[in-house]
Amino acid sequence: MTLSLRRSAPPAPAPTGSKRRAQEKRRVRTYPGERALRNVVIIIVAGSLLGLTAYPIGLAFVGSFHYWNPLVGAFDFVGLENYTTILSSADFWGAMLRTGGFSAIVIFFRVALGLAIAAAIFSKVTRGKTFFRTIFYMPTVTPLVAVAYVWQMMYNPQTGAINTFFGLDLNWLYDPQLALPSIMAMTIWKDFGYAVILFLAGLHAVPEDALEAASVDGAGAWQRFWRITFPLLAPMTVFVVITSIISYLQAFVQVLVLTKGGPGTSTQLISYLIYDKAFLKYDFGYASAAAFILLIVTALLTLISFRFATGRKSSLEG
Amino acid sequence: MRTRLSSLALTVLLGILGLGTVFPFVWMIISAFKSNSEINAADQTFLPKTWTFENFLSIESKFDFLRLFGNSVFLAVTITAIVLYTSALAGFVIAKYQFRGRGMLMGFTVGTMMIPWAVTIIPRYTMFADAGLQDNYLSIIIPAAISGFGIFMMRQNMHAVPDEVLEAARIDGASEVRIFHRIVLPMSTNSIAALAIFQFLWVWDDYLWPYLMISDNANQVLAVGLTTFAGQYGTDYGGLFAASTISVLPVIIVYIIFQRRFVAGVASAAVK
Repeated sequence: MTLSLRRSAPPAPAPTGSKRRAQEKRRVRTYPGERALRNVVIIIVAGSLLGLTAYPIGLAFVGSFHYWNPLVGAFDFVGLENYTTILSSADFWGAMLRTGGFSAIVIFFRVALGLAIAAAIFSKVTRGKTFFRTIFYMPTVTPLVAVAYVWQMMYNPQTGAINTFFGLDLNWLYDPQLALPSIMAMTIWKDFGYAVILFLAGLHAVPEDALEAASVDGAGAWQRFWRITFPLLAPMTVFVVITSIISYLQAFVQVLVLTKGGPGTSTQLISYLIYDKAFLKYDFGYASAAAFILLIVTALLTLISFRFATGRKSSLEG
Repeated sequence: MRTRLSSLALTVLLGILGLGTVFPFVWMIISAFKSNSEINAADQTFLPKTWTFENFLSIESKFDFLRLFGNSVFLAVTITAIVLYTSALAGFVIAKYQFRGRGMLMGFTVGTMMIPWAVTIIPRYTMFADAGLQDNYLSIIIPAAISGFGIFMMRQNMHAVPDEVLEAARIDGASEVRIFHRIVLPMSTNSIAALAIFQFLWVWDDYLWPYLMISDNANQVLAVGLTTFAGQYGTDYGGLFAASTISVLPVIIVYIIFQRRFVAGVASAAVK
């Protein structure tokens, strides 16, 4: 995924026909045992891709044109009906917009907090770097189902730690205005540590002499960060953003545990809507069609992020 | 003087953020030792007035959490072991051998990471139900055995294994199988550690798939058991704290033990 992102030079042109043949000639002999290892890998990986990914996607695609309900054993062709129902459904558009807002806000805080905390830990004057790194990454490695229950109890209006600690009287998860922001806060807490670790790794890769040279030229710490460090962290930022987009479009467990989509539909994210249609209402056809739309949206957003990243990079270089 | 001051300010700032980050865990563990009457009391104290094990004992009698814990450990360890091996092998082969279709194999494997679970879960549900694999752990293990993320991560890691080392071993007459097991695997420990924690956690955390596949309560996993418990005993906050603690604590302990190796592995997967 990041392969091409980190490379500063444009990828080498593909070898021409004659060159390639020469390369192959140089190594006609395969190593003893190579063929066997290769075949094992090709069989298990291609087998899994075909059987557990390609075939199910095909089935979902076909199913999305059917009235498909396993409870009554129905699999009846209905053409585009599922898609037209979805695209004219207020619930679907509401869930999509909510998911977009949820993802944008959580990703913003994940990147901003991750960058700020990584820079603070990386700073020469900070003590206890390993300690802080361990602490901030901790929520990321803990199971979501369990911590979601802990947060549910923290949000409890009577006995929860948040109201008690801040002396507030807010009904976090049962207030339609507050419920989605509450889930966002929990998700940010859970996930920002991943960005911290990645940005720390990125900071370690920033060449020190460039920063020193800028320092000699009279650039302040703030300028050095935004002019040198931040552009060099751009590929890492893109990586964090893309992986975040993919995972937040699928966010589901926190909604299931904290609010079950409520109050009303105020926290119904798209993946929860699909779960609800598929496994509570058993409308597999509708759910498959919605899932396909989600797949297309995910693919488009990932592609746009990549384009944005490569476009940005060439403008920096050019 | 100035650096000392800024050092202090930064450390204090990080300290406050760090406290906020660990607070939910601390609160969870402490609350698990409070009686329900104390948890529901109007005046809340941070520490329990009287420490009690009652929550842990009562959830065990109500729900057999030890059994679910054991099921989750079994599945997580089995799947993690399989994924580590298959990912390292596939990563090695794709990184170090030239063969036709290599790029395509890797491209599709990486592509699977982008596919939302919502797309494949319905057909997989019907496939596994039709195959009669419901209430069979094979239904949990098979779909998880090959991991796109794992292969991607281990292939990235193979840059850390120089071709010269492999060539030297070949000249010494080592077979490729032996090279993989004796040289490549030991040189990949950081990435393996990182992938191990990720994978362990994913299995530990997986909710929807086991919920769909396993209907027998005795064979259920901890994550699903937790939601079932919350559904049945929603007002037993003490029990819920204790159950969450049982689910969270082992992972935190494993993480703290391996954190150095783990952080190095996670970072290396994204940097190269």
